[in-house]
Amino acid sequence: MNSPIKKIMVYIDGTEQSITAAQFAICLARFHNAELLAYYVINTKALDELLKASIFLKDEQMEYEHDLEEDAKRYLNYVQELARSKNMLITTKSRTGSVYQEIVNAVKEEAIDLLIIGELSRIRSRRDEFYDETERAMRSAPCSVLIVKDEERVYELFESLS
Amino acid sequence: MTFLDLITEDVIKVPLQSTSKPAVLRELVQILKDAGKIDDFDAALQAILEREEKQSTGLEKGIAVPHGKTASVKSLVTAIGISKDGLDFDAIDGQTTKLFFLLIAPPNMPGPHVEALAEIAKLSRSPVFCDALVNARNAKEVVELLKEE
Repeated sequence: MNSPIKKIMVYIDGTEQSITAAQFAICLARFHNAELLAYYVINTKALDELLKASIFLKDEQMEYEHDLEEDAKRYLNYVQELARSKNMLITTKSRTGSVYQEIVNAVKEEAIDLLIIGELSRIRSRRDEFYDETERAMRSAPCSVLIVKDEERVYELFESLS
Repeated sequence: MTFLDLITEDVIKVPLQSTSKPAVLRELVQILKDAGKIDDFDAALQAILEREEKQSTGLEKGIAVPHGKTASVKSLVTAIGISKDGLDFDAIDGQTTKLFFLLIAPPNMPGPHVEALAEIAKLSRSPVFCDALVNARNAKEVVELLKEE
């Protein structure tokens, strides 16, 4: 039987949890000989909402969008380095828009069969249950989703990869 | 990290004592200093004042979201203050401001900064919830209301 996992996508959002997810994704891609992609979504929907709410000025919105673009480059470059250190190839891409919607769109367009996400934030309020963007992506993605936990174990696993 | 992860009773002040815009900004930054969230009071206040100089962050319906970026903080920090009588904060609707959400972030953390501000924007869309916050008697009630919402 061929591996059921041929194309893996890991979602990177600049958190330590998403870097742990990337390490696990690299391990899994090696094990399954799967193609690996990393995506970062620049949350321009939130920037638009902040402008609409008058919390941001127009030039402030542009400044933060630029900051987020730089953040995306920094973290995707870091993930590239992680993969390279284990002689693995990873394709990195960024998109703009609503986080959950763009994750779902990327999964569909890239024909991903496993989406890997870092450990989700603890639910602290009823609002979190409805609005957490990564959780919405987990619920809405048309493929299987793997949530990576246990940072120490994943680190050991990653380090042991030759 | 969600906005609620930043909220503890020691970063909430009910009621605020200040009666003017410059004083309330100092009082909000002082909350962070007293809670041990910032080391450099002057740098944090300067970041907030620079943003306010461009345009007031006093929104409609008695809410203000003063915010700024400075390398003097290592992580995202927030303070919440409630002025029972309200004060003139140059709000865009000309009304007095009662509910203050202050947010300061390091320059290299745009993602969590934007997400936290977006959460505040969502909260501020509910007049019923904002009224409940303004009527909270103490910091503990504010935390409970935020978790219930």
